[in-house]
Amino acid sequence: MDPESLELLEAGLRKTMLSTSGAELDAALADLGWADMLSDMPDLAIPLVFRLLGETGSHASVLNDVLLETIGGLPGGTPPMPYAGGGWVVWERTGTSDTTLGGLPLRRVPDGELMRVGEARRATGWWLVGSARAMLALARQHALDRVQFGRPIAAFQAVRHRLAETLVAIEGAEATLSLPGTDSPDLTAMLAKAAAGKAALTAARHCQQVLGGIGFTAEHDLHHHVKRALVLDGLLGSSRELTRKAGAGLRARGSAPRLASL
Amino acid sequence: MTVPSTEEFRSQLVAWLDDNDLTPPDDQSLSGHVRQFARVQRALYDAGWSRYGWPEHAGGLGGPAMLRAIVGEEVVGRRLAEPGPYSMLEVLAPTMIDYAPAELAAEMVPKLLCGEEQWCQGFSEPGSGSDLASLTTRAVQRGDQWIINGQKVWTSFAQYSHRCILLTRTGDADTSNHEAITAFFVDLDTPGITVRPLRTMHDVDEFCEVYFDDVAVDASRMLGKPGDGWRLAMDLLPYERSTCFWQRIAYLYSRFDALIDEVKRQGQSVDSDLGEAYLALHTLRCRSRATQRRLADGHKLGPDTSIDKVLLAGAEQRLYDTARDLLPGAIELDDTEWRTEFLYSRAATIYGGTAEVQRNIIARRLLDLGKE
Repeated sequence: MDPESLELLEAGLRKTMLSTSGAELDAALADLGWADMLSDMPDLAIPLVFRLLGETGSHASVLNDVLLETIGGLPGGTPPMPYAGGGWVVWERTGTSDTTLGGLPLRRVPDGELMRVGEARRATGWWLVGSARAMLALARQHALDRVQFGRPIAAFQAVRHRLAETLVAIEGAEATLSLPGTDSPDLTAMLAKAAAGKAALTAARHCQQVLGGIGFTAEHDLHHHVKRALVLDGLLGSSRELTRKAGAGLRARGSAPRLASL
Repeated sequence: MTVPSTEEFRSQLVAWLDDNDLTPPDDQSLSGHVRQFARVQRALYDAGWSRYGWPEHAGGLGGPAMLRAIVGEEVVGRRLAEPGPYSMLEVLAPTMIDYAPAELAAEMVPKLLCGEEQWCQGFSEPGSGSDLASLTTRAVQRGDQWIINGQKVWTSFAQYSHRCILLTRTGDADTSNHEAITAFFVDLDTPGITVRPLRTMHDVDEFCEVYFDDVAVDASRMLGKPGDGWRLAMDLLPYERSTCFWQRIAYLYSRFDALIDEVKRQGQSVDSDLGEAYLALHTLRCRSRATQRRLADGHKLGPDTSIDKVLLAGAEQRLYDTARDLLPGAIELDDTEWRTEFLYSRAATIYGGTAEVQRNIIARRLLDLGKE
């Protein structure tokens, strides 16, 4: 796809996501050709759609489609997905959850089947990075607008460094997500999801602090993204769990795989 | 001259390294490291490996800079040479090629590439650390010579070096800092230069003080024009933070392998710590890979490399903190490599631009937060 068409696609997707969410957004994405995009050009479609979900704060049940594509499941299904702590959830295609933080339609189920989750982890990683970017954008704007002690708080080094640290985490996570997992797709995806979860949690902590009181209110948008980051970090394994799992792999192997090469 | 693809290049290099034993002698002294580096460079130069990625007009064999990163990765990753002396080459040779008069670069760069000489970088001063542009070492023109007076500090490997790329102040009080600085290529055996190694907390006396007392340097040794020094210093960062970082990363991975090997029998209690260190190293390596691909695609690197720098310093300190946590007493009670390296890693957030300066750059230039 040429850069111009890609820009148009991104603008179209962003606009759609800003106006609809949930089942309605699923329908809109279907109209935009999501199913074909996923099967014909997953390396472009997954980063784009999932990052935009994060940036816009919208949601759709498209993670199901990524999993079904991996396992060859029937379209429209809702395969149980592992959740942090050994739990399982399904991502409902209709309705909302009464209990899940931030309104994602996730429902606990007693059990599920082990399956390849690499692509889905990578997709969730892009979503987390998108959420982190959304939080950084909100905190950055607030730092420039909010005046205390006679100047914008962006002028204070303590504030600047928190935002810089957030960008470092996001850029680092994006680099892990962008690495082609040719030789070790599962480990590459596991580390990318871990880095993305960590970046989103870092963004949540620093941006919440920079936003001060206003970021704690429901009238400001930050809390949507904070909650999204918390929930998505746990989905398909938390950053903490995946990091530990990667460590166990190193111990068994006796050395550290060099996954990125020139 | 046909230049092989990166994959062919690596496999041919690996085969050559397997056939040509360059294992270092059992000498962990700094002078031993410098000697071993010279020996490795000589062998790599004679076989052509260390000439790829450098332009033909400076003694190289051409091809993309990424080939240098591959040589660095294989050589340092196998612990054939230590990253310290090697890094100076990666930073200073490109600077010479970009700024020296063509004939000077053609004469001097091969001496560096083949291990005949070691060079150093005279930037920091006692009064000019993070605020490098405030440097006061002065160069005054007298006929077709410049007379230099002042003091440099933190000059790595100066005691082993034949030449120094030196930043001086040539502008008057009315010239802005960034236009008042001029670089010279100085022979360190010129009368009036005194080199004194500093004792450091990790017992490796890599850093030196260098004093300049009425040192006369030919005008032909100026790098660029008067006032180009600040730009030269900034232009050097992309080299430091691409090929040079890649070999440091290879080194850190080799040390991480050694750590994994030492702790793998401790059971699952080590998993989280190993995983954290691995995630930091992997993130850094992915970022550095992306940076080098951007450079290879013709993008100009700028403030974005501050992110690479923050990731490198963080990963390095995380690795050695993990070593201290998982090998209790190894650093404090046993005199091993881990002790020296742990102590040295404390400097990772200080040298080459402090972690704070990097965050200032990210805030100002990448996040566009305006002035402090």
